[in-house]
Amino acid sequence: MDRPVAPAAGPGAGNDCRPWRRRGMGRALPGALFAALCLASLMVGAGRMELAQLTTFSGEAWLTLTASRLPRLAAVVLTGAGLAVCGAVLQQILRNRFVEPATTGGLEAAKLGILVALTLLPGAGQGVRMALAMAFCLAASLIFAVITARLRATVLVPVAGLMYGSVLGALAEFYAYSRNFLQGMQGWMLGDFSKVVQGSYEVVWLVLPVVAATYVFARRFTLIGMGAEVAASLGLGYRAMVVLGLVLVSATVAATVITVGAIPFVGLVVPNLVSLWRGDDLTRTLPMIAAGGAMLLLICDLLGRLIIWPYEVPVGLTGGGVGGLMFLFLILWGRR
Amino acid sequence: MTGRATFALTAFGLALLALAFVLQGAAADPVWLIPRRLMKLAAMIVGGCAVALSSISFQTVAGNRILTPAVMGYEAVYLLLQSVLVVTLGASGLTLWGGSGGFLLSILFMLGYSLTLDRWLFRDGRADLWMLMLVGLVLTMVIGTVTQFLQLRISPGEFAIFQSAAQISFERVEPWRLLVSTILFCVICLAGWRGLPALDVLALGRDQAMSLGIDHRRAVRRLLMLIAVLVAVSTSLIGPTAFMGIFVANLAYALAPGAGHRLTLPMGCAIAVGMFLLAQLMVERLFDYRTTVGILVNLACGVWFLALMLRQRSMI
Repeated sequence: MDRPVAPAAGPGAGNDCRPWRRRGMGRALPGALFAALCLASLMVGAGRMELAQLTTFSGEAWLTLTASRLPRLAAVVLTGAGLAVCGAVLQQILRNRFVEPATTGGLEAAKLGILVALTLLPGAGQGVRMALAMAFCLAASLIFAVITARLRATVLVPVAGLMYGSVLGALAEFYAYSRNFLQGMQGWMLGDFSKVVQGSYEVVWLVLPVVAATYVFARRFTLIGMGAEVAASLGLGYRAMVVLGLVLVSATVAATVITVGAIPFVGLVVPNLVSLWRGDDLTRTLPMIAAGGAMLLLICDLLGRLIIWPYEVPVGLTGGGVGGLMFLFLILWGRR
Repeated sequence: MTGRATFALTAFGLALLALAFVLQGAAADPVWLIPRRLMKLAAMIVGGCAVALSSISFQTVAGNRILTPAVMGYEAVYLLLQSVLVVTLGASGLTLWGGSGGFLLSILFMLGYSLTLDRWLFRDGRADLWMLMLVGLVLTMVIGTVTQFLQLRISPGEFAIFQSAAQISFERVEPWRLLVSTILFCVICLAGWRGLPALDVLALGRDQAMSLGIDHRRAVRRLLMLIAVLVAVSTSLIGPTAFMGIFVANLAYALAPGAGHRLTLPMGCAIAVGMFLLAQLMVERLFDYRTTVGILVNLACGVWFLALMLRQRSMI
């Protein structure tokens, strides 16, 4: 069961000789799918959007597009890409395939941080909330990394993480209930893109520089996955890289939880699926992981918007359900 | 101190707690307060005993001290069935069937789930414990999202209200439900009474039990069916208990070390009911209703279980 995260050459690594990929189809096909999903995401919604009106760059349709549909598309893509990259980095740092913000307590810690910000500093702006959420998430992740550093069994770490998360969640609930805040908290318990409009979601753009920074350090994160000794012998400042990685993860988690809420399992399944296909070298796989996360979340969001149209199913439900099923599949598949 | 003496002490403490719960401040309006509190007490007793019995016997069947029905998704399945019933039959259909009709239908499905779990997870008899737990936790979360989705379909506007209902609570106990649950619970206890010695043999493990002449497959199946009904009773009466079963079972083992099920089962029941009483009293007296029993129990049991896991880590 204990499969090391060290880059095992996947079936697609190295020189690929499958003809369809040599001809560039391997890039064109996902690209086209991504574009189609983006377009679909723009076209679906409760309000009608007259395409003919768009050519005038004004009027109601234009307003719908720029104030609601485009921000939503940006939020979905950024959240999906950010969470997937987060999961990949965490999996390298903790050297475990089954970790991501939901299974390391990061999501719950960010919620707790927002809650503390809202109750102690009710007048503070989004910046303060963001900072506190990030600080809580970072602290929780650091504690979890230290606690689980010596755990050997692969499946024990996510179990411990889920428990850790549920304790943090219970703490948040206790705190919120005693301050009569439970109803307000439920707003961001569950990921939901329906409230994303121009002016309320801009924090999520923070994901973009974070993903870019992750890409810059991708080679080092890959080395971290080989363990402290190997990384140190290759001239890497192990501790500094771990802290940097956790800071990047916390920034993404805090930004996404503040704007759209918690979405579990996306960060877990996407990197795993990509690494089954292309191996673990983040310098090669990170773009695919980011694109995969964005596409998975686009699909989940579209599902949520279409199932009970004109109502919406929060993406926390569709994403959690689809991601959870894929996670179960990964666990049981790994068991065989 | 022997296990028996500890149990006597626990039971005595429990009786005192129960008395305190029923009588505290009852002088104000005894006619209104006492019957209500007695009903809550009855729900605590039936629900707590169902949780303790199902958890301890499930751990015996699974051969470890961590897995409980709640962790393996039983409660989530029950809550899902309730939503499915409302969606398929409609609220009017439910009343037509009678509340207990829906309840019995859910129990049938729970039996099915129990047997499926038996086939899939315990078939090889040596499945990895933490793997099973991870599968159970993720399954619980996935089933939970489906339940929430169905509730969203039932009434998109009142979604937030449903979310808060998924916790232990003694506030929504209805008399008829209490009656049905109590009768079912008594039937299960009578049915399980005969199998009590067999439980001690099952605790030795599959091979030992078989060499001692127990039909292991049949005994396990029978027990899983009883457990399914017990979980349905506790979930319908007091709500999902999450990690409480693990806490109750392990505390019972610790207080009665090396004892057979004849002692650990009642000990577990006493601990569960005592925990409910304590939490309820704390909510009423200490926190002045600024928290709920569900939150307190979740917090206490979650912290305790995390500590247990991390203390054990050197052994794993």
